[in-house]
Amino acid sequence: MKRFSIVSAVVAAGAMVLSIMPAQAADPGVTATEIKLGVSTPLTGSAGLAYGKVPGAMKAYFDYINANGGVYGRKIKLVVRDDKYLPTLAATQTTNLILKDNVFALVGALGTATHTKAYAAAALAAKNVPDLFVNTGFSGFGNTTKFPTTFTVLPSYAMEAKIMSKFIKEKFAGQAVALVAQDDEFGVDGVNGFKAGGLTIASTTLYPTSSITDARAKALLTGLSAIPGKPVVVLFGTTDVTALIFKAAESLNLVSKFTWIAGSVGGDANTLLALGVKSTTIDGAIAASFFPDAKDTSDEYVSQFMKINEKYNKGVSFDNIVLQGMNSAMLTVQALRAAGKNLTRTGLINAVQDKGATFASAGRVPLNYSATSHIGYNGYWFGQLNANGELKPYGGTLSIFTTDSAAGAVEASTFTRPAMPKNGIPTNS
Amino acid sequence: MHNFSANKKRLLLFVLFGWLLLLVGDRVGELRQYQGSFVATYTLAIASIILLTGYSGQLSLGHSALMAVGAYAGALSINNAHLHPVIALIIATLVAGLFGLILGFGVARLSGPYLAGTTLALAVSLPSLANQFPILGGEQGVAFDVGAPPARFGEAFSQYKWFFWISSLAALIMIWLISNLLSSKYGRSFRAMRDNQVAAQLTGINTGRLKVTAFTISAGMAGLAGGLLVMLISGVSPSAFPLSLSFSLLTGAVVTGVYSLKGVMLGGLVLVAIPEIADSVVNRIGGSEGFTATLPGFLVSALLIAAVLFAPNGPGQLLKKKH
Repeated sequence: MKRFSIVSAVVAAGAMVLSIMPAQAADPGVTATEIKLGVSTPLTGSAGLAYGKVPGAMKAYFDYINANGGVYGRKIKLVVRDDKYLPTLAATQTTNLILKDNVFALVGALGTATHTKAYAAAALAAKNVPDLFVNTGFSGFGNTTKFPTTFTVLPSYAMEAKIMSKFIKEKFAGQAVALVAQDDEFGVDGVNGFKAGGLTIASTTLYPTSSITDARAKALLTGLSAIPGKPVVVLFGTTDVTALIFKAAESLNLVSKFTWIAGSVGGDANTLLALGVKSTTIDGAIAASFFPDAKDTSDEYVSQFMKINEKYNKGVSFDNIVLQGMNSAMLTVQALRAAGKNLTRTGLINAVQDKGATFASAGRVPLNYSATSHIGYNGYWFGQLNANGELKPYGGTLSIFTTDSAAGAVEASTFTRPAMPKNGIPTNS
Repeated sequence: MHNFSANKKRLLLFVLFGWLLLLVGDRVGELRQYQGSFVATYTLAIASIILLTGYSGQLSLGHSALMAVGAYAGALSINNAHLHPVIALIIATLVAGLFGLILGFGVARLSGPYLAGTTLALAVSLPSLANQFPILGGEQGVAFDVGAPPARFGEAFSQYKWFFWISSLAALIMIWLISNLLSSKYGRSFRAMRDNQVAAQLTGINTGRLKVTAFTISAGMAGLAGGLLVMLISGVSPSAFPLSLSFSLLTGAVVTGVYSLKGVMLGGLVLVAIPEIADSVVNRIGGSEGFTATLPGFLVSALLIAAVLFAPNGPGQLLKKKH
């Protein structure tokens, strides 16, 4: 009884002390000298291996801008938190960015299953936190009622599938088509896109990402090799699976039996070569892209970003992932400039909506930001890989197609991108 | 006051503690409210492990799978059947309990490493099974939105305070119920079975049925914790229940002292505090990304070893020894 009384007294006393503590106030993350931005993204784990370079590349570009005067005199600070591609961590890390690190805006978050949850858990809509240039092609983020402050940067997977349908129908008429896609929102978005694109598919295989093995890949290809002629095999999945299937084709001697087309997510030549795919295998494979090839040093964006990477991101090799990170960082700087000297969260969101479509970017396809569209790039071009892993325009000339994520038509585009700002430093307003 | 029975004392203590939490929730910022909600959720999950392992002597490595069952049941109730969040959480508890009952019948004959292996297999396979049923939403999962706090609490009542209220209240009620149960005849039977199954059988305890009962109740608690967890992250998906969650919870249980429900909150606090501590260490001394990413795991392991070496029955036991 005595112990009980003591415990009760301690609890009651604690309650009284707490009742006189003051409540806390919030901070928007902008001072006269600094803008604090945040990103929750996988740095470790399997997704970290593939995409862990993104925040470093963004930081490198921001450091470059800071060394050249910052944005209207303010230096950009990027707070990076590792979510290991796990939804629970994404939710807590994003909440930490908002409530603990007091960041002004988020940039370059990565992942669909993770970021949809983080968005609601961190109450980004209620707090009106700009959620810029999310690295996912999930078309659901285009829903501005559910995600009013989100702007994605990649074209949606549905767009990619629709454009690919048109390309295949035009260039490979008469060849049977087999679709091999990953069994999640990414693959399913794609399957729906192929349907909307009106492509006749002879065989569709959906695989769960966790269970695809060498043996299953071989069984799949053996099955597909029964299709007469030279079937077109469309690989709509992540790069590690593309590599697995290519290697299975090598050991079955089936590389030349098919015409290979890889989606933009799974067609990164550097990664394929690094994963042990032979250069003769990728030679001639077709891939979709919205960026220039990261090996193309004649591209003014690529060469400028390479220079920045060499100086501010020492020891990190330049590839598509680094290109993507730097490009998002450059878009961010332009958005911050467009929002004006008196920086507010609403001002930043309006700036991307009103002026985002005119921002300079490395993309070979248009940016499509407006009050009604929060999805960035809306098109693709097709290229053919050579043995060095370089992606060259299919048929020798660059042809760009644009479309939307719904039932809109696929159209050829005459888009020419804005020139790279001098020395890679935006001066827009 | 001297006539207070043990049960009434316990009730009063829980009510007092609830009042304390209410005041705490009012005084701290949104971040602490959010972290507090996780503490409550993990505490509940750890309590379910302590009930199963510490009291009934069955080792489960698959509690994340049981949490996933509750989480999916709750999410479907809210998202597809449009039920009230409170009802959804009750359904989460019941469905996971039912799953535990069925599982309990299957595993009641197993013990030691066999039981651990079976539950481990469950934790590995069950979340990825969710990919096979379109209604469960694949990798993307199902949203779990408890909605805005009731308007009568006023505009300043944040989402995080709402989370904190729901999870704390759910954990308090559940743990109160369980501690009542454990001080009843069931609690004594559980302990008898844990310490010596043959002796317990000789005294007339039906150990098979008792094991199933423990599994069912523990699964129900885990299901509720799962429901709360996905409420906090606003949706359920397979990757929200990795194997590492099961191990973290088990660590929490060992740190708390697996043979006693007293101080179970300590485990929840530890799980939430470790990343925080790692964060501030890194902020203070700096370090590479690799260091930042691995420090929490290192701290948890170090704590686990320290707990096993110096306080195998929990810090509470350590204090008792001194007297």
